[in-house]
Formats: sequence, C-alpha cells, structure tokens
Amino acid sequence: MRVLTYLAKRLAFVIPQLVGIILVSFLLVKSIPGDPAVLMLGPTATPDAIAGLRQSLGLDQPLYMQFFIYLKNLLHGDLGTSWQTTRPVLDDLIQRFPATLELVTLSLLLAIIVGVTLGVYAARRPNGWIARLSDAYGLSAGALPDFWFALVLIFVFYTVLHWAPAPLGRIDMVVIPPMPITGAYTIDALLAGDLEAFWSALSHLALPVLTLGLLNAGPILKMTQATMEKMLDSDFSRYEVLSGVPQRLVVRHALRNSLPSVVTIISVLYGYLIGGAVLVEIVFSWGGAGQYAVQGVLNSDIYPVLGFVLFSAIFSLIVYIVVDLIYVLLDPRISN
Amino acid sequence: MSKFTATLEKELDARVATPAAPLVAIKQLSVEFPGSTETKQVLKGLSLSVQPGEIVGLVGESGAGKTTLARSILGVPPAPGRISGGEVVFEGRNILDLPEPELRKLRGRRLSVVVPNPRAELNPTATIGKQIAAMARIHLGVSRKEAMRMAFAMLRDVQIPDPERRMNAYPHELSGGMAQRVVIAMALICSPAFIISDDATSGLDVTVQAQILSLLERLAADNDSAMLFITRDIGITAHFCSRVAVLYAGEIMELAPREDLFLRPAHPYTLMLLAAFSHSPKLRDAWSVPETGRRETSAKGCSYAGRCPLAQEVCRERPPPLAEISPGHFARCHFPVVDR
Repeated sequence: MRVLTYLAKRLAFVIPQLVGIILVSFLLVKSIPGDPAVLMLGPTATPDAIAGLRQSLGLDQPLYMQFFIYLKNLLHGDLGTSWQTTRPVLDDLIQRFPATLELVTLSLLLAIIVGVTLGVYAARRPNGWIARLSDAYGLSAGALPDFWFALVLIFVFYTVLHWAPAPLGRIDMVVIPPMPITGAYTIDALLAGDLEAFWSALSHLALPVLTLGLLNAGPILKMTQATMEKMLDSDFSRYEVLSGVPQRLVVRHALRNSLPSVVTIISVLYGYLIGGAVLVEIVFSWGGAGQYAVQGVLNSDIYPVLGFVLFSAIFSLIVYIVVDLIYVLLDPRISN
Repeated sequence: MSKFTATLEKELDARVATPAAPLVAIKQLSVEFPGSTETKQVLKGLSLSVQPGEIVGLVGESGAGKTTLARSILGVPPAPGRISGGEVVFEGRNILDLPEPELRKLRGRRLSVVVPNPRAELNPTATIGKQIAAMARIHLGVSRKEAMRMAFAMLRDVQIPDPERRMNAYPHELSGGMAQRVVIAMALICSPAFIISDDATSGLDVTVQAQILSLLERLAADNDSAMLFITRDIGITAHFCSRVAVLYAGEIMELAPREDLFLRPAHPYTLMLLAAFSHSPKLRDAWSVPETGRRETSAKGCSYAGRCPLAQEVCRERPPPLAEISPGHFARCHFPVVDR
C-alpha cells in the first residue's frame, strides 16, 4: 500500500518531467545550424521547391508553433518521420531501441559482476594485491576510450584468434533473425526455439558487451570498494566481529548495507549507457538507437533525435522509479 | 617514601592476578595506538583477574582505556590499536595466542561484551529477532526455528516491552534502553562464562539505568557468569561489584574489595572520584581541584602526577609500583592516603 501511494505520486510527476525534457531538447535540436529542406532536396533544388517543402514540413511556422505541432503529433503516437530512412521514427526506434537495450543491459550485468566482486575483495583487504589491482583497474577503466578498447578486442579476438565473428551487426548475415517479439535477438531466438540464431546473436554480443562491461565496471568497483570499506569499518561490523560472527557473514551483512550506493551508481550508468554506447555501436555496426540519433544530429534529421531523447528519458525515468522502490526495499529506515 | 614495601612489579602482578584459580586472568596487557607522530600507550601492562561467578568493577574516566580493555580482552582492540604484549588467560589458555578461527568461536560464546550506544552497533538492515537469533545459530549451531524461539525467550528475559512486536523491529525503531536490552540479550543468549559490560548504561535515563543494571546482575547470577563491569560511574560499582579497580591512563591505580575501596580509599585519584559523587562540600573542595590540570603523562613518573594534589618531586621522577597496602588492597602511589 505504501509502495502504491508512492508509485502514484511519482508517476504524477512523469508527464511534466517529460514535457520539460522534450521542450529543452526541441530547442537545442532546433538550434543546430542547417536547413533540413535544403539537405533533403539536395544541391540542385530550386528555391520554390525548398520553400514548398519547408511549408509542408511546418518549418515556416514560428518556433513555438512547431513545438505545439510536435507535441500534438506525439499525443497521437506520431514521432515524425526520418527523412534519411523515410520511415516513421516510432517504427525505427521500436526496431533499434531494443538492440541498444540488449547490448547495454548485458554489458551492465557484466560490469556489476566484475565491479562488485572485485570491490568486495578489495575492501576486505585494503592493502592486499586485489586492492592494488582494483586501484589500477579503476584508473585505466576510466582512462581508456571505449571505441579504442573495442578495436583492440576486435583485433585480438577476430583478426588474430578468429574466436569472435566479424564486427558487422547483431547476427550472422546468413542467419535469419528471429521474429521480433521483445526486439532482443537472444531472447526472441530462445522464444522461437531457434538455437542457431541464439548462438549467432550471442557470439556477436560477446565483444561489444566485453568492451562496455569491462570499462564500466570501473565506477561500480570504486563505489563498491569505498562503501564496503566504510561499512566494514562501521560500529555494527566491529560489533559483529566482537560477537564472534564469522568473517564471511560480516562481509555479507556489510554488502547488504552497501547496496543502496551500489544501486545508485548502477542506475546512473544504465541511463548514461543508452546514449553513451554509441561509439561502440558504430564500431560494431550495431544499428542501435544511439547510432540512429547521431546520424540524425549530423544530418539535421531532427525527429530521430527527438524520438531518441524521448525514449531515453522515459527509460531513465523508469529506471529511477524502480531504483527508488529498491531503496525502500533495501533500507528499512526509509519509510516514506 | 611510603611505609609499604614495594615489591618487584612482577611478583605483585602474580599476586594481583592469581588469588585462587581465576576464570579470566589478564596479565601485563599492553595496547598501543600508532599515531602520526608517536605511538600512544593506551594500556600499560594491565593485570587483573576475575574469579568464576565474581563481578569486578572497573572505573575510569573517558580516555582511560576502558573500551580498549574491553575489546582487547577478546583480541580485537579498537582500530588502529594493536596488542603489543601480555596475555589473557581464559580457562588455562592464553586466548590471544589462539588462531583467529578458534578465538572467534570463543567471542560471543564463552566471553561476550555488552556494548554502549547499541543503536549504532546493531546492523541497521536486519530485524532484532534475526540478530539475536544469529548469535545462537552461529555459536550453538541450532536450527533457524530453534534460534528464533531462543531469541524470543531471551527478549522476554531482558524484559523488553511487547517482545512479539520487537522481534520484527529494526534497530532505528528502538529506544536507547530497548536497544541496550537487545544487546544484553545478544551477549547472554549463549550463556557465556564471562561477560564484559563496557559502560553499558551510559547515555540512558537514570531510572532505565537502574533497571538495566539489576537486569544484568540478575542474568549474570542466573547464568553463573563472571563479569567485568566497566563504568565511568564509581557509585554504580558500590552496588554489586565484589572488587573494584580504578583505571587511569591505561594503568590500574587502585584495586580493592568493595568495602575497602569505598571506606578506606588509598589513591588520591580514587578519592577525587569519590569526592565528585560526595554530598559533603568539604570533601568535594578538598579533592576536586585539579580537574583542569594537564593530562600529559610523563614517561618517567606517575601518570597521575600532573593532576594530583599530593604530588611531590618523586612522583614526577619515578613511577610508583602497585603496592599491597592491606590484604587484597593495592594502590599505585608513592603517598597512599591511609587512616592514621
């Protein structure tokens, strides 16, 4: 009941938050120089043709009118049309967003496993070799550019060792992608019982997931290590030691108390990676949503960009609401 | 010079530590805290023994080393402290020499500590019932169900109001007094042979304090447990300790049977402590002067010399030994105060 009231309150704020995000991104995207009509018609277009197209696109209207038209269309489920793909943005994103989401989610899972495990071990022995390794790892993970690391992995595992498939998309070209249900190839392939497609999709995921997972484990590792050190140094951990609680349990209880901070950093990374994975998407020709949005920015194709911002914003808001609910479950001291 | 023969420190320690077969004998326990400039000696070769079933009081002001002693007895001095010497003999074995897994099994099982400010000492994300039951599960190896049953019985024993509800309460939902009872329940659920009460009633209302004290005393007696009762309040020790030690700057200044200590205090510091609680203005005026005196402890002389109204040249030159001034009554002073 408490959780439901809380959820209702939070959801009531989602709509104004979204309108605000759309307004800001609309103004920002509109401030990108370049006339879409000119770009769409090419260098040989007549001024009349350009003016005609501007009118049909609504570009001759004042900015606030354009915004209201966009909002009105949104309410009808129309996110505009991309002139590059000549398809509705909604259709494009429904196809591409799950690709990014699949990549980012699996990467984040890897990052959590690596980061939390190393963080806990490093905190247990602040002067041990794992702690020193973690320090070096945290530093280099923050310093290495992801596209560079992706290229290194491709060189080693594709070019030299031939373990990984060519970095060209999400599935082998000769394999027929499974019927889209969730949009994530691995899940759809399993749902369809198509093991060949599943393995192909999985092998294509390996290198980009490794890239994003290993690099983004850095912040999770640092946060886990710092919070765990604090928790293991706290009064209640010392009291447990004094009461003869085995170290294994002391560490487990400390981790349990560290989870809110760890969940926070994970949620921030999750929202960030939706757009932040774009360079890795490009390296692996992933065809994800980030790549789609960047193409839009480069070609004054504003509807894909706005659609992407909208999707990411909704996704981030969902993540934050879920995280707030997790806090309530994790910490009995949060009651309202 | 005092008219009492100052025997060699070692011999005296032997006498202090072993009147009969003690349950716990702390021998020459030293704990140091490494600092940025110098290493601070927090316990300076402290010796004390406790007989089976006996309650020994230990009085000292803040910073005297009370908590350090309580935790060092179990081999875990407060960070960054380090045990630099000495033994804790429990049932014939020096437990500080035991490998960590063995010592761990003694902690909370055979020797347990009742900590002060327990709301910070309890795990904020686990229920009270679970935390008490965990002690029984870990140390006695009983089933989850049995452990919960024992925890509930223990909560009733410590007279917590509404124990059914408290089993599922979290530490932040308890009052200070209730949390103190919970910690006592955790310390006693395994029926330890030795209980260390580390200032367990500080920060509680006087009425609650009295309840907790009589509860501790009764439970210890029911269990046949011996207890080291550490406190800042010398008055409390008068109620139920058979012997009382006075701790100052990591050293025992006076150790005596209760009657001797309260009726014939010998050390100036003990007198000052007693005077602070006295209703006689004459006594208070005479013995409460140098509270503001420097706490610096010269390496050479008596550590109390800087605050002592009776201090003389020799006090700053030479450390006084812990001398036996009457049977069982020890004082670490060049000029013990005695009835003449």
